[in-house]
Amino acid sequence: MGKHHGKRQGGRHTRRHPSSPSSRRRRAGYLFSLPGLAFLGLFLAYPLLYNVWTSVHDVDLGTLLGGASRFNGLANYRATVADPDFWHAVRLSIVFTLASLLFQFVIGFALALLFARPFPLNGLLRSLLLVAWLLPPVVSGTLFRWMLDGESGAYNALLRATGLGALSHDWLTDPSTSLAGVVFANVWVGVPFNMLLLLVGLHTIDPELHEAAAIDGASVWQRFRWITLPLMRPVSVTVLLLGLVYTFKVFDIIFVMTGGGPVDATSVLSLYVYEIFFRFFRFGEGAAAGLLLLLVPLLAGGLYVHRLRREGEAA
Amino acid sequence: MTRGRRPWLRTAVATLITAAFLLPVYWMVNTSLTEPDRIQADSPRWLPVPVTTENYSTALAVDALPRALLNSVVISCGVVALTLLLGVPLAYALARIPMRGSGTMVLALLVAQLPPSIVLAAPLFILERRAGLDDTHLGLIAADTTLTLPFAVIVLRPVLRSVPRELEEAALVDGCGPVGVLLRVVLPVMVPGLFAVAGLAFLIGWGEFVFGLTLASEPAVQPVTVLLNSFVGRHGTAWGALMATATLISIPVVCVFAVFQRFIVGGLTAGSVKN
Repeated sequence: MGKHHGKRQGGRHTRRHPSSPSSRRRRAGYLFSLPGLAFLGLFLAYPLLYNVWTSVHDVDLGTLLGGASRFNGLANYRATVADPDFWHAVRLSIVFTLASLLFQFVIGFALALLFARPFPLNGLLRSLLLVAWLLPPVVSGTLFRWMLDGESGAYNALLRATGLGALSHDWLTDPSTSLAGVVFANVWVGVPFNMLLLLVGLHTIDPELHEAAAIDGASVWQRFRWITLPLMRPVSVTVLLLGLVYTFKVFDIIFVMTGGGPVDATSVLSLYVYEIFFRFFRFGEGAAAGLLLLLVPLLAGGLYVHRLRREGEAA
Repeated sequence: MTRGRRPWLRTAVATLITAAFLLPVYWMVNTSLTEPDRIQADSPRWLPVPVTTENYSTALAVDALPRALLNSVVISCGVVALTLLLGVPLAYALARIPMRGSGTMVLALLVAQLPPSIVLAAPLFILERRAGLDDTHLGLIAADTTLTLPFAVIVLRPVLRSVPRELEEAALVDGCGPVGVLLRVVLPVMVPGLFAVAGLAFLIGWGEFVFGLTLASEPAVQPVTVLLNSFVGRHGTAWGALMATATLISIPVVCVFAVFQRFIVGGLTAGSVKN
């Protein structure tokens, strides 16, 4: 669209009459964009660049309050990479992210299949499910802390009431189950969003494909396997990439539920960065660790944008 | 997909799943209305009988809570205002005006949504302190708007593109300037998109936690999410008051969603973004 426009107006007016309507319009365009871009430059781009600067300097509370910080090359990165807690956090982040993605995607897909066909109350129930995703993560975290409580938690009470009392457990205070506990809560938050996007994908599948296959005698499973799944592949990849970006940076819900504990059992990378930067005030190392944390979302985001562009070209 | 043969069966299954899924939300409200000494009984009560508002009075008696709720209202309304003020002109320019570099700008807006909040909070903590913006509502509003603005532009741009060009051209012929066209012709057509962005920006501002935790240390500025977190730490087992606070925080979320639902769901699936 932009191209056509440029040709039509650029050729005839702009070059010869600098104050023609189209060049006035273009100037208005820059003027309209300026405040928003300046804001993002000041509060987003500059701080991130400043983070890069901090990551190669020796910055602590003392230097922050006035003293000059010394350039120390890659020392902060070296210190971070040499810290076993950092690698522990990396491992936890990977497990947390993969487990969350797997469960929220599979459950979200199943729910999308359920909601894809019209039935009474479909819209209302779908909206109710979305509430889980819209609640502030701090609220969900507090909520699940209570639900998973060892003594009076509702889930343990449910287990006891159904004769599965042997399974009741102090989920969040036992280091071997606390990660499962925060994954559980995070999946709860992520399922509705996955469902919503996958539902949009399911609606783009032509129902006639299924009807034709049914007439040819294909079973429900065969139709799912050979029609739905292949056609849902592009949407699924998009949903998983977005999920990867969001899940890898999760902070609030874990922070509220366990604070990273017990004994660092849930201290994922985002919590590690918080600790280093805001608890120990080792700003240089915190900035370096933060930039390492940024790598995964950037990579996933790059893939996502790449796919968007390819789809744009195909359309 | 064949047409459902037994739609009511699906309704039954979906209702059961939704009920099970929303059990935690029910439990939050249930606990908040249960008498404090019955909350941690051996067998929990599935219904709050007798209903009590004691937990709410306990929660609200803590001076900090009304203050924090007010802070959150100020912050999220500020976020909505700043997002629309900066986002609408930017989205309009990117959607309708052929400019050099607009492709790069759209790309940059997509990338802008990637950084984890904690990575941005770290340098903002230093920079806002130097600029005297730490511990101010404005500092938090600005930080939160870095989350909402990129996504607002990405949601609004396609909406603006769908406004018929003839409308704008007619207005231009009638002697309207670019600002007049935007305010008088384009804005009224894009009201649903504006609602979606305003609703989502409010929800993001209302639920934001990382910036509140790191950029504000004064109770006079802290949002209610930060207060809830510190309640959890301090009164770890006062579940009645905690759940009352959590319910109070959730009420505006549910209200905003109920009112803007149609717009929000549309805007979400169009932009495929949330922070």
